[in-house]
Amino acid sequence: MAKSILTVDDSASIRQMVSFTLKGAGYEVVEAVDGEDGLQKARTKTFNLILSDQNMPRLDGIGLIKALRGMPQYKMVPILMLTTESSDAMKTQGRAAGATGWLVKPFDPQKLLEVVKKVIG
Amino acid sequence: MAEQGYEEHVAPNQYYDRQFDIEAAKILPGEYYATRRDMLIVTVLGSCVAACIRDRASGIGGMNHFMLPESGDNEDPLSQSARYGTYAMEMLINQLIKLGAKRPNLEAKVFGGGNVMRHFTVHNIGERNAAFVLDYLGTEKIRVSAQDLVGIYPRKVYFFPKTGKVLVKRLKNIHNNTIFEREKEYSSRLQVTPIAGEVELF
Repeated sequence: MAKSILTVDDSASIRQMVSFTLKGAGYEVVEAVDGEDGLQKARTKTFNLILSDQNMPRLDGIGLIKALRGMPQYKMVPILMLTTESSDAMKTQGRAAGATGWLVKPFDPQKLLEVVKKVIG
Repeated sequence: MAEQGYEEHVAPNQYYDRQFDIEAAKILPGEYYATRRDMLIVTVLGSCVAACIRDRASGIGGMNHFMLPESGDNEDPLSQSARYGTYAMEMLINQLIKLGAKRPNLEAKVFGGGNVMRHFTVHNIGERNAAFVLDYLGTEKIRVSAQDLVGIYPRKVYFFPKTGKVLVKRLKNIHNNTIFEREKEYSSRLQVTPIAGEVELF
């Protein structure tokens, strides 16, 4: 069965590009428009990987990670950040919240697939 | 962190504009600026485009100034140009949101994309830039309330984010090559840099 990935980003352009890339590699992809939407979707089914932006309305990426890590079914699920934020301070916060990795935009399809393969196969 | 050729920067040039009697920021290719204050943001565009985006409720607004890299297939949604353009737009929008702007309140005025650069191998570069910015804003559902795109003249754009007012001066007499040199230098920088951010696994 195809592994399922939840991609969370408030930009429709990014959601389109990420979905296109991941679906092309055979993954099943669900999109969410902000952290709150992502959290709701993550409750309805347990994904194999979460890929999230940082700056979003309602709930940001780090807030989403913290909420997910508080749920038993998401203790071990890889969570990757895909964001324009490149500072060490933000990465440290992300790591402390429980992020598995940090990808800085502009997003590169090949690099994204390499990392996804590395963390979920 | 090593500086990348594609990296978008907050405009460092700020001054007091005597003509409009207001604090001003001047933007060069590859830069953006966003503010919640009553200011003027100025740029000069050849084939580049600038998006002036503001929250119509709070008056938080900003402007970017970019062009797409020449490489890349227009039809490929993951091309270097699509990914760079998306990045340039997102840097500005994220900055606006950090300052307190609300996404549903955003509206845009877009300028530039003139057919002014004879040394580019892709002759319709201005049109590509213009088409990209309109397409992007459509995808993001950000309303375009004014535009002055393509054509043959470079433009000087004055944006007052607090009120949303924009003045556009079409430059029919250019006294030197500064605009073209800057765009050319920016374009070459984009050509040699892979459009890809860093990856770190914790």
